[in-house]
Amino acid sequence: MTTMTTTATLPRLAAPARRVTALQKRIRIERTALVLIIAVYMIPVLWLVATAYKPPKDMFSSPPSFLFEPTLHNFRRVFEVFDVWSLLQSSIIISLGSAVLSLLLGVPAGYALARARSRYAIWVAYLFLAIRTVPIIATLLPFYLMMRDIGLLGTWWAVILINTTLNCAFVTWMMFSYFRSLPRDMEEAALTDGCTLFGAFYRVALPTVVPGIIASALFCVMFSWNDFLVAMFLTNSDSKPLSVALLAAFGTKDITWGTLGALAHFSTVPIMLMALFMNRYFVQGLTKGVH
Amino acid sequence: MSIATTAIPSPRQPSRRKSLRFDDRRQLFLLALALPAVVYIAAVAIWPLVQGIGYSFFDYNLLRRGGAKTFVGLDNYVQVLTDGTGQRALINTFVFTIGAVFFEFILGLGLAMLLWRDGRFNRICLAFLLIPVTITPLVVGLIFRALLAVDYGYIGYYLAEWGITSPRGLLAGTTTALPTLIFIDIWEWTPLVALILLAGLKALPGDILEAAFADGATSWQRFRLVILPLLLPTVFLALVLRMMDAFRVFDSIFVTTGGGPGDATTSLMVYGVKQGLQFFNIGYASAIANISILCIALMAAAFTLLIRRADVKANEQ
Repeated sequence: MTTMTTTATLPRLAAPARRVTALQKRIRIERTALVLIIAVYMIPVLWLVATAYKPPKDMFSSPPSFLFEPTLHNFRRVFEVFDVWSLLQSSIIISLGSAVLSLLLGVPAGYALARARSRYAIWVAYLFLAIRTVPIIATLLPFYLMMRDIGLLGTWWAVILINTTLNCAFVTWMMFSYFRSLPRDMEEAALTDGCTLFGAFYRVALPTVVPGIIASALFCVMFSWNDFLVAMFLTNSDSKPLSVALLAAFGTKDITWGTLGALAHFSTVPIMLMALFMNRYFVQGLTKGVH
Repeated sequence: MSIATTAIPSPRQPSRRKSLRFDDRRQLFLLALALPAVVYIAAVAIWPLVQGIGYSFFDYNLLRRGGAKTFVGLDNYVQVLTDGTGQRALINTFVFTIGAVFFEFILGLGLAMLLWRDGRFNRICLAFLLIPVTITPLVVGLIFRALLAVDYGYIGYYLAEWGITSPRGLLAGTTTALPTLIFIDIWEWTPLVALILLAGLKALPGDILEAAFADGATSWQRFRLVILPLLLPTVFLALVLRMMDAFRVFDSIFVTTGGGPGDATTSLMVYGVKQGLQFFNIGYASAIANISILCIALMAAAFTLLIRRADVKANEQ
């Protein structure tokens, strides 16, 4: 605003001042556009939230009703119909189990591939990247038979094991790119100072890639949490996670959209919050994991 | 590239021998670190893939008594490529992939340009836009199915009421179902494309952009002649990533239309899952899976070539 007053008294500065306002105007247009886009974009998300708090009488009103008195009826109903805690427990065990296993396997492997002098290392890294792009149905069928033969069908282990293939491949590739962009000097110095090989990895290299590890973990959890195809075929009614319950509930007569929306809260809100609060790592994972 | 730089020969003979021994030890240590993951991937991913290739040459159905296998050679592949649903699935998958990725790229690029300016406001916008990426595709499918329902859905009701769509709605029409699914995919994944392109934009060399500004180029010229060529590697990356994902589309289709009406929205993955895990036609489903792997590999190879060519071109300039 001070520039405006100075332009009035000092004509010499008029040109640059106008440029600033032109830029400001442009930014304002850009921001308005962004806000509008986001507003339209959020409609489906808002619908999901709104439906869960809608009373049953408004659920199927035709034409659809926009105004309603919010109620927690649907949430009470969810707890009546579903064993929500058991579903949550399955989802948590499957996603955390796979994330932990994937990190334990993938982080050291990523480090090794980034530091190995072998010329095959890069090809192994590419192989891991390629594994990530394989359609799950290709491995799921033989894996299903495998699990049936060793009697793990219907357990959390079956889901954790197959999710870990994709997750571990992802973590390895991601950590490979993190470690590769890390200079070796610090590790070399530590080794010269008498640090063990494991120490150089664990105490010197590892702490510098913590953001990468967090991002990897976030994605492993998200991937397993959101999957339903694998879980649908590998779990049974005792071990099924939220996603499978959601799918099964859909289309059942006594489950309304409201109940479904309330159940969907449990399956979407944790991941959404995780992504919002750890936005930096989430963005890192989305952009770095693909390079 | 870093392979060559580490081999610095030490001048003194004895210490060199010692360091060689140390180096061997180090390589062994690295091998030990990599081994668990490699063994795991070999056992749980590659072995099943090899088995799948084997199954695809057999007439193998689990529901038949004893699950007897008969060798049929390439029959399964021929059948997928000649039967009506198989062809439909292949065409649908390609139409879906190309349609979705095309629009995601155009819209994503626009969004990335809008978000380019650094600042708190844009970061918050980006965080909001990334919400769809975090939502389970299953739930996304459910949301749109409800929104598009003709009797009580907020969108579907009015579309049908105003005569824009048939009274049965978008997802029930043979010609409108696939475009609707493409639209859902665009909704969910455009922000991801925008994010990848944004990362590429932010990594562009500032001096070249400033030079373009100083030259007085119009913003369209600046975009077409300076920004886009520099961004090309990132563009290819975003495209190849999304194409490979879109080609594997399953969740949103399975939930909204289940592949119907008829086989109007059956993708390769949907068809494979149906054949394999509902009818337990293991041999046939394996052939479908392998065909999609082959398609994905070919797409990836084509894009890798394009990226390499773009790199070469960029280096020449």
